[in-house]
Amino acid sequence: MRGYQRFSTVKQMSGGMGVFVVLALLLESGGLVNWAQRLELGPERTCALPLVMALHRGVGWMGLEGLRSDAIVELARIGWSDDPEAIAKAREASSAVPEVASASPGSVPKTPPPTMKAKVRVTPTPRLPLQPLVGDPPLLSVLPKIPGVRPGRTRTVALVGDSMMAVGLSSTLLRESPKYEDLELVKVFKSGSGLARPEVFDWQTEYPAMLGAVRPDVVLVAIGANDGQGFVEDGVTYEFGSAEWVAMYERRVEAFLALLEAGGATVVWVELPPMESDAYDARIALINRIDYAVVKSSRKAVWYSTAGLVGDADGQFKAYGEVYGTMARLRKQDGIHLSDDGAVLVAAKLLPWLASQQSSAQIPSRARKLAEP
Amino acid sequence: MRGSWSDIILRLMCGFPAYGARSDRAVDGEEGADAEIGQGGGGIALEYAHVLRLQESLAVSLSLSFRSSGCARSMLFPTVEYAVFFLVVLAIAWPLAKYVTVRKIFLLLASYVFYGLWSWRYVPLLILVSLFAAVMAQAIQRSGDTQRRRRVLVVGVAGCLLVLAYYKYTSFVLLSAMGLWGLVGRAPVWNLPAPFLPLGISFFVFHAISLLGDVYREKLREDLHLLDALLYVAFFPQLIAGPILRASKFIPQLMRPCDATKIRVNRAFLLILAGLFKKVIISNTLATRLVQPVFAAPADFHRGDVLLAIYGYAAEIYCDFSGYTDIATGCAMLLGYRFPRNFNAPYTATDPRDFWQRWHISLSTWLRDYLYIPLGGSRKGTASTYANLMITMLLGGLWHGASWTFVMWGGLQGVFLVGHRVWAGSSSGAVLRLRGRVWWPWVSRVLMFHAVCLGWVFFRSPTFGVADTMLHQLGVSGGATLASWPVVVTLAIGIFGQYAPRMWRRGVEAMMARLPVGVNGLVLALGVFVIEVLGPTGVAPFIYFQF
Repeated sequence: MRGYQRFSTVKQMSGGMGVFVVLALLLESGGLVNWAQRLELGPERTCALPLVMALHRGVGWMGLEGLRSDAIVELARIGWSDDPEAIAKAREASSAVPEVASASPGSVPKTPPPTMKAKVRVTPTPRLPLQPLVGDPPLLSVLPKIPGVRPGRTRTVALVGDSMMAVGLSSTLLRESPKYEDLELVKVFKSGSGLARPEVFDWQTEYPAMLGAVRPDVVLVAIGANDGQGFVEDGVTYEFGSAEWVAMYERRVEAFLALLEAGGATVVWVELPPMESDAYDARIALINRIDYAVVKSSRKAVWYSTAGLVGDADGQFKAYGEVYGTMARLRKQDGIHLSDDGAVLVAAKLLPWLASQQSSAQIPSRARKLAEP
Repeated sequence: MRGSWSDIILRLMCGFPAYGARSDRAVDGEEGADAEIGQGGGGIALEYAHVLRLQESLAVSLSLSFRSSGCARSMLFPTVEYAVFFLVVLAIAWPLAKYVTVRKIFLLLASYVFYGLWSWRYVPLLILVSLFAAVMAQAIQRSGDTQRRRRVLVVGVAGCLLVLAYYKYTSFVLLSAMGLWGLVGRAPVWNLPAPFLPLGISFFVFHAISLLGDVYREKLREDLHLLDALLYVAFFPQLIAGPILRASKFIPQLMRPCDATKIRVNRAFLLILAGLFKKVIISNTLATRLVQPVFAAPADFHRGDVLLAIYGYAAEIYCDFSGYTDIATGCAMLLGYRFPRNFNAPYTATDPRDFWQRWHISLSTWLRDYLYIPLGGSRKGTASTYANLMITMLLGGLWHGASWTFVMWGGLQGVFLVGHRVWAGSSSGAVLRLRGRVWWPWVSRVLMFHAVCLGWVFFRSPTFGVADTMLHQLGVSGGATLASWPVVVTLAIGIFGQYAPRMWRRGVEAMMARLPVGVNGLVLALGVFVIEVLGPTGVAPFIYFQF
């Protein structure tokens, strides 16, 4: 049977591709706008955005975008989608009584309650930094005592952030946490996110939806790896590292910290570790300084340094280190993320500390061993 | 081992006169294996940080899903960037069809742009490896002296393997050595630089070796031109995740003008749609909603979820990699080139040998021809055959990633193959009766699938500890809390879809063949739209990218 084979000429193929391109542009004009808005600032975005915006406006009368967004919301309603934003829209659309999602280990509830809305927004106009930057964070942190939880109740810890939390650190924390009693970890991170580009991923709206009914006692946050870039707000471009950029970013960090603390949680801000690339490391160092200044100005938030744990004696990047007496690679091959072994060094201090806030007697012996230097 | 290193490499490469006349028969069909990154599977989104670092992390983001976050510069197939890139290449390549050399120069430059958009820093490495292999291959081809041809081959293969060893295995060797040292004393901790793994290095190095091998064995009879060799190694649809093309099969395609009247557009469109469906919907849904959560913290889950996650990973990795291959093949087809088949319903295999004739076929045949047969294949007795199988599979495992878990995975495959040989060679009456039962092939399929799944546990686990926990949790009773209906549906399609009769696909293709090509374009556009809407947010990088 050869009937399934058909050969076409270049001309015929061009016709087919032409139909595809035209239809794809019509059907996906809204998606293309989203895509262009998320591009890094630069020539590609500068060229693409006006084009796709014009296309989107031009085909708006056809109502195809409504079809697409309705389909996404409907898919969320029937449980196909896992996109918190779509789920929230579906719930709003259906006006059904929201069910209370129970937090299960290692999963994010899919049904955000409508009550928890972001109350803190970034000030649209940047001013000078609210407080002068207090310098580089220390190589090592002294972790203070944080409020305990009632006996018999688990301490809920939300793991928040971008891929600095998602890759290496979160999986290690989740794997190690069963060694500690009464500690429940909940994943609320999103790779590829950050605070510099809310049009890409807006933590102010996404975080409540991702958190759902969970009320964390502690929030561990590692974020900012994607923020070493300029951004546009209200049509104004802020170049990375400029005074205006620093001011704007500091306010976003403040707003984010306020959001995390809004439910009464203690926020533990995990420092971004030293990076292999010098240029990138310099950008991350600035972000760390801003984060550190904001955290220091908070009465409740705790700063957790990593440079002394996974860096060398000067807090600079190192690829290898000693983990449980054995040489191990501390970082992923990208020179950015923590490897599982590197994350063990970070978790080794954090988890016993979180567990010890209840009662040192409750720390199992294996956990104590982990906590030992 | 007899002889010098050059002899060893030569033996590994060709298995020639000194080791008996080379047989072209498909010796066993056993071998194979694939790549790594794997561990991370799905969640590493493209990060601006990576852009700053010349997109060195393969971490990519998103895909077709315009709703998802991140801003990718990497050329993942299911991205707007790749769609634009490919349409431009297509639009320029066909008008150049009459000018064969110019077309090849254009495609070569396009391939470097494709790779450079991930990282310009490593484009020189790609050029150097392919140039080195091309010059060596030309030297082999031009020489009539057998000894000299051998020496050049040895130098060429050794050079290629050194590049691969440096970038891929430095850390692995160093850490393994330190681990051994630690057994007898306190090993030092050295803060050495750790080389970054260039994207797709295992694939382009294997292409380079294939070029040398095929020229040496005179499989490639045409005069090798530098441009053909460079394009063969760097051709963008196969550059970063295969399939591994044979120089003897692909370079002749490059040498002749593409026939502008024989493009299988309907087939190419179907392949692209099938690839997008597998990757964006099946693979990503399973990765984000089932596999990642369980493998990240297996102790939190019990039998139902763990079993489901293992099955889920089997479906995920198949759909991920075969989806990539489908898209690559479809794109190459639209440009007028043919790629070999890389997958053939692997989970319908009834035994390990059958499996390796269906899974990552281009790699398994590569290992067979360039490793297993040169080692002696099955020509030197039973014990030697078993040893060769084990060596081939262990190295195949290591090719997938510089980790002992991959070696374990390869070792398991070797044990399966050896075990099957013993079983197949048994003349016991009970065994023969069992194999004669009507239901035996189906029992075999179930057993084979679960044997493969056992291997996937080690393949996916970043450490033996995680693999051990996964297997341990299988014994802890508990339900499947992650069995939401999208997970169940995608899992069922990912595994049982392989049992769909080939005639179904042919039927769809025949139906599209009867329609005007413009309607085919409409089907493609609607298909892409549906896949984009159905796909989850945050599409993971292809698993095989970093192998």
